[in-house]
Amino acid sequence: MEGVKEEQPSSPYMAMFEGFRAELDEHHDRREKIIKASRDITASSKKIIFTLQRVRNLGEPVPQFVVKNNTQYWKTIESQYQSIAADLQGLNRHRYRQITGGNQEFMEALSFHHYLETQTLISYDASAARVATMSGEAGAVELTAEDYILGIFDMVGELMRFSITSMATNGKLPAGKPNQDKRIKREVSEEHTGDKMDINVQTSALTLAPEPRNVLSDLRELRLQLEMFEPPRGAKFYDEVEKKMKVMRECVDKVEKALYSLTVRGKERPKGWMPDANEDRRAIVESY
Amino acid sequence: MTGQSGMVDPAIFEDLQTRVDEDTAVRDELKDIVQALEKHNRTISFVLSRAHSTPTANLSSVLNAAQESIQKAIGTVTALSRSASKLPYYKFNSMWSRQVQDLIFGILFWGWLGGYQSNASTPKCGRLLTLPDLSIILAVPVNLKDRDEFHLTIEEYLQALISLVEELSRLARNSVTLGDYERPLLINQFVKDVLAGFQILNLKNDTLRRRSDGLKYKVKDVEDVVYDLSLRDLLPKGKVEGYVKVEGVKQEVKEEESSKKIKMEEYE
Repeated sequence: MEGVKEEQPSSPYMAMFEGFRAELDEHHDRREKIIKASRDITASSKKIIFTLQRVRNLGEPVPQFVVKNNTQYWKTIESQYQSIAADLQGLNRHRYRQITGGNQEFMEALSFHHYLETQTLISYDASAARVATMSGEAGAVELTAEDYILGIFDMVGELMRFSITSMATNGKLPAGKPNQDKRIKREVSEEHTGDKMDINVQTSALTLAPEPRNVLSDLRELRLQLEMFEPPRGAKFYDEVEKKMKVMRECVDKVEKALYSLTVRGKERPKGWMPDANEDRRAIVESY
Repeated sequence: MTGQSGMVDPAIFEDLQTRVDEDTAVRDELKDIVQALEKHNRTISFVLSRAHSTPTANLSSVLNAAQESIQKAIGTVTALSRSASKLPYYKFNSMWSRQVQDLIFGILFWGWLGGYQSNASTPKCGRLLTLPDLSIILAVPVNLKDRDEFHLTIEEYLQALISLVEELSRLARNSVTLGDYERPLLINQFVKDVLAGFQILNLKNDTLRRRSDGLKYKVKDVEDVVYDLSLRDLLPKGKVEGYVKVEGVKQEVKEEESSKKIKMEEYE
């Protein structure tokens, strides 16, 4: 060993390796900082989702207790994005993919929140813009299309849980408000078909309110879109999509099965035994 | 399907599909270049493998042949650099990193054997080409920080350096077979110097760490060759510059041997 010790300082490559050491240390420090931020963003996003699962209504601003509880977590996420924004600029924009975990979980929380309030899917551009805003002045942390899609896959799981909880506690699937649905329809009609749809709105206002969309129909629509999406072959992203696709289908299946048993059990019951409120519910359920 | 009547605005997924398809097109374009580079690398390693069976005196022809293949590879690197510089470097670099490492290794080996800027009739072994040297040879920047373009990274260089040590430990044995008892001494000193460099790096649990952990075994392999030569008194005396150091090694090895003996005795 003595020999080695003596030789070490005399290695002609020492200066070169000292340079490498400085560079690599800097790189590893940055990497670890980003891993930590990603974990914190993930943890806060999970807490946000947890609170959101206590929401029971669709298509309206989330109740005050949710806002009160989640504000701190949104703030944590924002400060985490800010803390790493400078490290993910220029050449290093795509260098530390360790942020993808945090990005995906954040995407899940953001899209779930957005869905509960508007009953629509938040767009990629809006999501990326949101992360950019949170990143602050140092420049935007990149939310990739891959992060977005993988986050949306996970959001299907949240919609499943949301539906099952609702069926177990209220005996029905959460659905949008008829009023709101009509409002959306009117917007669409003005944009695209003009007068023709106005008549529909009038007639539907005259007759019964139009059937509001429920979570299952939204889930089916989302499933269709996700199934139509073609990830690039051979990339790691492809395998991730494959895996999540399977889970996503299972989630939709679970809701369909739960609804099936709700319907079948409803039929079994003697008429007079059911409370009035539930009678209505059954009528809705049967017509899916 | 126009406009949004349900939950999902179809434009969202149309846009995502376009983005992903664009990336795929970029990857397909790069794939051709990277495959060409791989082919050049195979030729270089084929040519340079003759160094294991060629005496130093006749090495020039091998090195000249290697230089020709390296020249072709450089052309491909230029094409790669041109295409890749239009893209975010770290989004796509995993596509070519392996091939670039292999090429760097080929050039390092060639340079070590004396191929670079050598006018002597008998090439002089033992030179380590640095990252700045490679930057000149390949005509690409190294270790960039301020702009997002194609470049060589420190990690790629270090990976190639590990490959070089592995290759040299093989060359040490084969030199003896060729009757060259001098080169193992040179290799011995070189790999020790490189190992000393790697020992000051703080590597994390990645491929670089795993491969560099294997370096000490390669260094030991070379030491064993030198030891075998010294046992049989085959080391060229007074001829080699590093002879004093080699004496040290011999001493060390002998000490190790004697300590082994002591241990054996203890067991008995």
